[in-house]
Amino acid sequence: MITFFRAIKFAFQDMGRNLSLSLMTVFILVLMLLSMNTLLIIRTLTTEATSSIKDQLDISIYFREETTDEQVEEVRKYLETFPEVVELTVKSRDEVLSEFQANYEGNKDVLDALAELDENPLGATIIVKTKDPIDYEKIIASLTVPEYKNIIVDKPFEDSKTAISRIDIITKQVERFTIALSAFFAFIAFLIIFNTIRVSIFTQRVEINIKKLVGATNWFIRSPYVISAFIFNLVSVGIATAIVYYSVGFLDPYTSVIFGSSNILTNYYNSHILMLLGIQFVGVLLLTSTTSWLAMRRHLRV
Amino acid sequence: MITLNNVSKYYTKDSVGLRDVHLHIDAGEFVSVVGQSGTGKTTLVKLLIAEERPTSGQIIIGSWDVTHIPHRDVPFLRRQIGVIFQDFKLLQKKTVAENVAFALQVAGERPKRIREVVPRVLDIVGLKHKADRYPDQISGGEQQRVVIARSLVHRPKILVADEPTGNLDTINSHEIIEILKKINEFGTTILLVTHNRDIVNQLQKRVVTIHDGHIVSDEEKGSYRL
Repeated sequence: MITFFRAIKFAFQDMGRNLSLSLMTVFILVLMLLSMNTLLIIRTLTTEATSSIKDQLDISIYFREETTDEQVEEVRKYLETFPEVVELTVKSRDEVLSEFQANYEGNKDVLDALAELDENPLGATIIVKTKDPIDYEKIIASLTVPEYKNIIVDKPFEDSKTAISRIDIITKQVERFTIALSAFFAFIAFLIIFNTIRVSIFTQRVEINIKKLVGATNWFIRSPYVISAFIFNLVSVGIATAIVYYSVGFLDPYTSVIFGSSNILTNYYNSHILMLLGIQFVGVLLLTSTTSWLAMRRHLRV
Repeated sequence: MITLNNVSKYYTKDSVGLRDVHLHIDAGEFVSVVGQSGTGKTTLVKLLIAEERPTSGQIIIGSWDVTHIPHRDVPFLRRQIGVIFQDFKLLQKKTVAENVAFALQVAGERPKRIREVVPRVLDIVGLKHKADRYPDQISGGEQQRVVIARSLVHRPKILVADEPTGNLDTINSHEIIEILKKINEFGTTILLVTHNRDIVNQLQKRVVTIHDGHIVSDEEKGSYRL
């Protein structure tokens, strides 16, 4: 126990007496964490952008004018059985007509032509929204059966299909790009951290050598470095998190203008804070402790 | 106390540290090991503190067979042998007192005992008043005295001094030798590695001469003959 407390004391003593090196290590760690968080922000925003576009997609099922309300209700109930369906809006013939009239309010020719007809020429409509746009194909296929041939006039999907496939391509490419960029940043960060710690330990190789000659065990020499690494991580994760929180608070008003919903980034960080802190802390701790372990190994062979 | 049986150390096929060395040193002896630079004196010191392993032969120090000592036991061996180096080997970021205390801290000594022992050994070497100075704030002679203080804290039975006066002027050199003689009078075995002719001749103690890795002479009351 005495040895453990001594290791803590030496760790603080070493950090204080090598203040510039300690500050530089923390600075590098903060930069690395900030670059990783920037990628996370980009990823969150692209996910939000694609999901908001997907949210706006739906398909309309147009019924023939002679289709009865019971038949429309039957189709609605059938669609409800699909777990992929999240929202169903039924518009009666009268509602469809009112909407049509509202849409063509300024177009006298269309309204006059409509007035010439004795009856409402428009059928009811069901608007379907699914969890994922990819599910629309399944819904359309399920309605393309002989039973519904005489009651459904149209279920246009081709335009939506093209939009959906484009969104999917963009989403996948953005995802690939951010993964590649994250891997690249992680590699650069690893090299920077690895070399910073190697330089830090290299400058202390003489001290390590002396400690060995005086009779210190490897554990006694290593433990202050491990504790220092732990403290550097704690401080750098704290600083990086504070900067990121301040930055997302600053960015959120701008993102809400673009995406409509407010506090996208702050909400994301709030709901994932423990996971993000944990991953960052454990990741950096593993990186720094493995690096110090490897860098010290050759100096401990005395 | 110290026995070397047929010890050889080859760094490479052409680079020889020691060749077939036989040496026995009894407890309480003061032995000077002399020889020109590169003859194997420092190799001998490194073998004694297990910084190097012999290529062949056997090294016994007290109850330790240093020849094949496991790595985990090396720190314990080093705590029982005091070592003084030419380049002092002080921790530059620690004060004089902290440097001396460090040797006790690595052994897990209690803080109370460290607070008692450190001022006492610093008093012995005359540096109690400079306990809070850093190594670069004291002279070379004083730094060497700190090293002696550090090596004394475990009350070692053996003290190995590798060119302890190599970086010191004549006055400081003689002061260091006087301290070593006093330590020897208290029963500690001293192995002094040096090429300082005056010191060896003044000591009038056992002198072992090494040349080209071999022991070429071993005299009870010898002098520097190279």
